Amino acid sequence: MKLVTIICEALARSHVTALLDEVGAHGYTLFSVEGVGAQGSRVADIEEFANIQIEVVLTSEPALQLMTRLERDFFSRFAMIAYLSDIQVIRSQKF
Amino acid sequence: MTTDLVQAIQANLLSPAVLFFLLGVFATLSKSDLKFPEPLYLGLTIYLLTAIGFKGGVAIASAGIATVWLPALMAIVLGTLIPLWSYPILRFIGRLSPVDSAAIAAHYGSVSAVTFIAATNFLQSLNQPYEEYATAFLAVMESPAIIIGIVLGKLATQKPGESFLPTLKVALHEACLGRSVVLLVGAMLIGFLSGKRGYDATAGFFVAPFQGVLALFLLEMGMVAARRFGDLRKVGLFLVAFGMLMPLLHGSLGVILGHAAGLSLGGATLLGVLAASASYIAAPAAVRLSLPEASPTLYLTAALAITFPFNITVGLPVYFEIAKWLFGETP
Repeated sequence: MKLVTIICEALARSHVTALLDEVGAHGYTLFSVEGVGAQGSRVADIEEFANIQIEVVLTSEPALQLMTRLERDFFSRFAMIAYLSDIQVIRSQKF
Repeated sequence: MTTDLVQAIQANLLSPAVLFFLLGVFATLSKSDLKFPEPLYLGLTIYLLTAIGFKGGVAIASAGIATVWLPALMAIVLGTLIPLWSYPILRFIGRLSPVDSAAIAAHYGSVSAVTFIAATNFLQSLNQPYEEYATAFLAVMESPAIIIGIVLGKLATQKPGESFLPTLKVALHEACLGRSVVLLVGAMLIGFLSGKRGYDATAGFFVAPFQGVLALFLLEMGMVAARRFGDLRKVGLFLVAFGMLMPLLHGSLGVILGHAAGLSLGGATLLGVLAASASYIAAPAAVRLSLPEASPTLYLTAALAITFPFNITVGLPVYFEIAKWLFGETP
């Protein structure tokens, strides 16, 4: 099983969650975060400068599909990083 | 007129709203650890938009649609035209990219509710009457410029064979049904329908604490604006000048159109303030989603760190003095 972690500007939220649906994710976890990156400090005082982190558990194929789509359609448009990790889950039928 | 203007600017600078704004700026520049959590910022925005929309709706009900439609139409015309001349100025004098020019044009055609609220406060402090239904102009000026700006940006970045209808749909949705528009127009409709009785029932919440909430919000805005001061160096001298000169031009135009539409001195000043203001709630959200190639540093810094502080400190009294001069009230 794979865990995809996406950290992006809050305004990209609806675009990313729509993509998660498209690749067939059964669920995801989303939370507000702050930090500093290539596009400056995201101090999270207003939505335009807020960051979110989205975590989604997927099987390998949709996870790779998600990473490819993010790279192709999102990285040039939004402040965003994404990474893929191998994980072990209990109840793998849920994903 | 000069002494009047200096006095008006002084009076404006000593209002609680502006002083709290300056406190916010000071807090950030002095690296104080004062910070509002984002949900509080959202909460204060929701309160201000609802209260101003509701009161405006009640005022429209008592003034009657027949009085409101002509100046409201003027407001729409202004909001639609401002991006059309702002774009070539940004593109050819400022030499900004087409998509950045379009994004900034959208922000300057659209309006800032808080600047408008600060202006009504300013007029109240001078005991200058104004049309309470002017909130209607605020409501109708939010969306048109955003749509025009996004269409300009899409036309400029369109690749051959690519349809921009899907993005236009997103833009229309965001511009007409974004959170600030829904709250403002919705609250206005509720105020219009419930009228004087509704006003009396909710005045304790929507009217009495309003000044205090505004002061708190401007404290936060001072911090938000000051955090972008560092970006002023990145945006260049042209945009700094644009952010102060265009409001003066648009403010004068608004005052003239308000006068032509039969508004009072106070009402014409408010239309001037609306024309002069740049959106930083509705427009950034719509533009970020529809024109992601445009640089947020440019449009947010211009609207938040240049035009907003300029308008609430110097702009308001200037537009008021222009209106007084136009209405022939200065000897």
